[in-house]
Amino acid sequence: MAQIFPKWANEIPGRIALGLIIIVTALIAGIWYYFSPEYTDVGYAPTQPIEYSHKIHAGQLGLDCQYCHTSVDKSKQANVPPTQTCMNCHGQIDSQKPEEIQKIRDSWKSGESIEWVRVHNLPDYAYFNHSIHVNVGVGCETCHGRIDKMDVVYQKEPLSMSWCLDCHRNPEKYVRPVEEVTTMGYVADDQIEMGRDLVAKHNINPPTYCQGCHY
Amino acid sequence: MSDEVKSPNYWKSLNELAKNEEYQKFEEREFPENATELDDKVSRRSFLRVMGASVALAGFAACRRPVQKILPYSKQPEEVIPGVPLFYASAMPFQDALTGLVIENHEGRPTKVEGNELHPASLGSSSKFNQASMLQMYDPDRSRNVTKDGQASSYNDFAAFCSEHFADTDRNIVFISEANSSLTYNRIKEQALNKFSNAQWVTYEAFSEDNAIEGTNIAFGERLRTVNHYDKADVIVSFDDDFLNPAANKNSVENTKKFTKARKVESTDDTMSRLYSIESTFTVTGSNADNRLRVKSSEVPLFIYALASKLSESISGLSAFSGYTNKFSNHDWMQPLAEDLLDNSGSSVLTVGSEHSAEVHAAVAAINKALDNDGDTVTYHEVSHFDDQNNREAFANVVEAMNNGNIDTVVMVGTNPVFTAPADLNFDEALNNVETSMHLSLYVDETSSSTNWHVNRAHYLEAWGDGYSYTGARSVIQPQIEPLFSGISEIEFLNTIVSGEQTKGYELVQNTWKQFYSTNFKSKWEKILHDGIDGENIFPASNVSLKRRFSAQLRNALSETEESTGMELVIRPDSKLFDGRYANNGWLQELPDPMTKITWDNVALMSKKTADELGIEAAGLGVAQAEMLSITANGTTIEVPAWIQPGHADDSITITVGYGQDRSGRVASGTGVDTYPFRTTSSMLFTKDISVEKTGQTYEIACTQDHSSMEGRSLLRYATLDDYKEEPDFSSYDSAYDAELPGEAYAFEKGVDEPLSIFDAIDEAEYPDYEPQWGMSIDLNSCIGCGTCTIACQAENNIPVIGKREVSNGREMHWIRNDRYFEGDVDNPKALHQPVPCMHCELAPCEQVCPVAATTHSDDGMNQMTYNRCIGTRYCANNCPYKVRRFNFFNYTKEFLTDGQDPEVIQMAMNPEVTVRFRGVMEKCSYCVQRTNRAKIQTEIDTNGATMKPEDGSVKTACQQACPADAIYFGDLTDKESKVTKTKLNERNYLLLEELSTRPRTSYLAKLRNPNPKLA
Repeated sequence: MAQIFPKWANEIPGRIALGLIIIVTALIAGIWYYFSPEYTDVGYAPTQPIEYSHKIHAGQLGLDCQYCHTSVDKSKQANVPPTQTCMNCHGQIDSQKPEEIQKIRDSWKSGESIEWVRVHNLPDYAYFNHSIHVNVGVGCETCHGRIDKMDVVYQKEPLSMSWCLDCHRNPEKYVRPVEEVTTMGYVADDQIEMGRDLVAKHNINPPTYCQGCHY
Repeated sequence: MSDEVKSPNYWKSLNELAKNEEYQKFEEREFPENATELDDKVSRRSFLRVMGASVALAGFAACRRPVQKILPYSKQPEEVIPGVPLFYASAMPFQDALTGLVIENHEGRPTKVEGNELHPASLGSSSKFNQASMLQMYDPDRSRNVTKDGQASSYNDFAAFCSEHFADTDRNIVFISEANSSLTYNRIKEQALNKFSNAQWVTYEAFSEDNAIEGTNIAFGERLRTVNHYDKADVIVSFDDDFLNPAANKNSVENTKKFTKARKVESTDDTMSRLYSIESTFTVTGSNADNRLRVKSSEVPLFIYALASKLSESISGLSAFSGYTNKFSNHDWMQPLAEDLLDNSGSSVLTVGSEHSAEVHAAVAAINKALDNDGDTVTYHEVSHFDDQNNREAFANVVEAMNNGNIDTVVMVGTNPVFTAPADLNFDEALNNVETSMHLSLYVDETSSSTNWHVNRAHYLEAWGDGYSYTGARSVIQPQIEPLFSGISEIEFLNTIVSGEQTKGYELVQNTWKQFYSTNFKSKWEKILHDGIDGENIFPASNVSLKRRFSAQLRNALSETEESTGMELVIRPDSKLFDGRYANNGWLQELPDPMTKITWDNVALMSKKTADELGIEAAGLGVAQAEMLSITANGTTIEVPAWIQPGHADDSITITVGYGQDRSGRVASGTGVDTYPFRTTSSMLFTKDISVEKTGQTYEIACTQDHSSMEGRSLLRYATLDDYKEEPDFSSYDSAYDAELPGEAYAFEKGVDEPLSIFDAIDEAEYPDYEPQWGMSIDLNSCIGCGTCTIACQAENNIPVIGKREVSNGREMHWIRNDRYFEGDVDNPKALHQPVPCMHCELAPCEQVCPVAATTHSDDGMNQMTYNRCIGTRYCANNCPYKVRRFNFFNYTKEFLTDGQDPEVIQMAMNPEVTVRFRGVMEKCSYCVQRTNRAKIQTEIDTNGATMKPEDGSVKTACQQACPADAIYFGDLTDKESKVTKTKLNERNYLLLEELSTRPRTSYLAKLRNPNPKLA
């Protein structure tokens, strides 16, 4: 009796298996990468209602972060400044873009808020407190990047849980002296040694259990 | 392990007492049969209707990244730091007594009410009504505009109408007002009475102090307020007076504080006061009594008169009663009680329920006077805002005048007489005979619907006001937020009527206070706003002496009071809805009643013996089917579900009012039965000779008493004070079970302190020394079982309200439940209360079974619940021996956001510090981790990194902070000086289910009672 399947058909199950392995691996790898905050969130740079440039203010003019973000060392939130803060200077100073300044003055006059678009957005079930980080020497730039070089603010770091835990597990790699918190481009001579000293000095014991952040 | 429990047998329901097969099957299940299936007939719509205000907000992540906006202030108020809550002092009016409060605000929206430590009526604690008032403000069912004859109108139109209508100052006007202690309100009231020459003013409350005031008038010839000082009393006798219950006493928080303070026992050297309770209904106060006697309400006066007669043999001042005898004169209680009172003359206090007649109040006042208690344990005070008339009589007269067409304008402020007025007055009909009627109220209620004008009222959290506490401490009420629905406060409303102008409440209140603060107004004003109290102007205490005519007046009462033979009906305010004003409050509706554990309904309570006579059987398990009764009293017949309340007086039925309101909102409608029609001017408290029949129908009742049973183990431990002094460690496992703790001998051999368990012994490294170790202890001797903790927890932790059907299914979400146990004879049991939150076991059984590690242990010793990890297997709840885990079966959040009318309003009520949970997620008590974490961070910043352990007392859980009995201690166990550590070292300290070696962080202090040995 003639054989129904040719000889090469013997290889089909093997190829299917191999193919499946490749597809599944690709799928997992794809989801792993493309669904991760590294891919989806980093680089998020929404258009803001006012063409405000951190590069000019924090970089060229050298304003300290805390001139505007006043509550960063007192509250869980680093506040976006009220229009009032803008008006401290722009009550008198114009810029190259008078139409942008006008939006601030309109808001000041009407009392309406400027609707900024949120860039760094943590999920609702994660609680983050700015004050404790700033008070023990986690620099602004450590999480937000070189804001002084950004015309439009974008998300520099993934803000994922594993990223948080990198520092919570090894804070000595990231902390700096408290007085250098707002410094941009800070580099320590020997980060690890200084970090260890700072961790000891401030009793830094970041929580790595769930309820440290999730409740 | 020994199953023999040496201590008395406790039971929660008649079903449990019977120990039948059905019950055993029921208690072994997590939920009643079929309840875990999602094929409920309840439609989503009706389920939503039930939610009312009581639902949740959320930020919902869609698949796409949500674009969130940040809206900074344009001009930022000076003291606001976004993300840091602000606390403002204010006060909550309840009838004519204020409770001082401190209110938590997040960026301008109030989210939580706490007590004000400086205020005498609060002393830092609050009542369930205080806690639930927050939800009432955010209730989307509140009235939103002014209506004229049912049509939408505006306040401008109303003001215009007023200035025209009231230009004629000779009109026959009647003001019917709620009781209000506001200084400004009463100032404008004087203005009104001066301006309108034919005006009458009546203060109408369905449950009021009127009889007590009239009682002092009979006894002493003055209209005075009676203030009992329970902390100074060694012997307290309560006649039908539920003075620990906020629904029965305006000053319950202070009463509870003082009562429990006098009963704190820290060592065997301490003493306790003794509470006798003589009552018909089993009340919260009765459950805390050392000796309790069941007496029909109609016979309570007889008991008082007999006692007075007995005392008159030994002391002077009670000649009115000498020689009087009745059925109680030879009662077993009479001799021991009289002896105890005479032994404690000057340090005892007698008190009687406010709805008892004025003569009874007078008799009690006379006994207190004769026992030399006045000035010590009881004081009598002149109250500036009391009317000179008997308001009950005045109200009846006014209704008659309305019926006769002698009144052309009725102005009603706050009260809802169409719903609550005695049925024989027929108030609704009387209102039809009045040309112009106007009503200020929070809801478009029964009264609003019958008046020409309805004005929407501002909530106390939205409006300026002022007033006195029960004892006369004065406060200013400051608004926390602009009126959500542009409501008008009672002072603004009244002022518009008097002056025709729309003066703001702020100005009106300031004008009042400028009279008191004639110098340095600004600084004094700022101080009272800051402190919430100014510490002055306490109502002066009067020196009282018995009136000469007292004897003559009392003799009539003595001869008129008869023994009661037939069945009688007792009408009481509801422990949750009061007179019905909180009917649309989901938190209160769903709070299990402290004694019956019934939610969402009112029932006819009766003793087992009475039920047997009527042929009523105890409602079954799970979805309880109660038999319907048809009760006829005062010519009215109403069908009410029957419920057996062990410990109720025989031949007596108690019902509560406030239910059956269909007008005031979606939450209230369809709950319970309106029982006000039973109440008439001559039967405000009880009606004798009623007829009762079974209808053969049944009615579904959502009762939580059999939920979360711990199956007969020795969970509650108590002893008498004398036994405790003999055997201080009576509450230890060994004593309770008369057996050694499992594993104890083995541990002793091994030389370790604690018994070994199947789990590894705790590794020190697991609990790092830089972290605080949180622990809690609950003093069962202080806990009165009121349920304030449950509401406070619900407010703090964004716990949803789930509705009657879901409660029937055993799915209530309360993180701290209050178990009520009976002990002893079914006819006359004792009742005990035990609040049960999560035990935060160090070796938690729930953690062992979670397949996704969603519940694990934190470094500060808490059993943490990580919502975003939870996949909803519910293994943990199955494995929790304490049954404290709660599961979200429905997406209360999203449903309301998509279908709800006012998502913004409901979102505002949420605490932004706590995640709003999603469907399919397990949740439970977190020891208020948002508070402990906030305190840890603040301590670390304040001490510049030196420590993260907050100072003892600086962090309180929501339940602890609210508790009026100070029964809950919480703190750091590594601090050897902390209160909680010291409490845990007390010999009465014990652990729930210690034999399981779960090592709970929450422990209990065993309860003590101090009964009269002669009555044992």
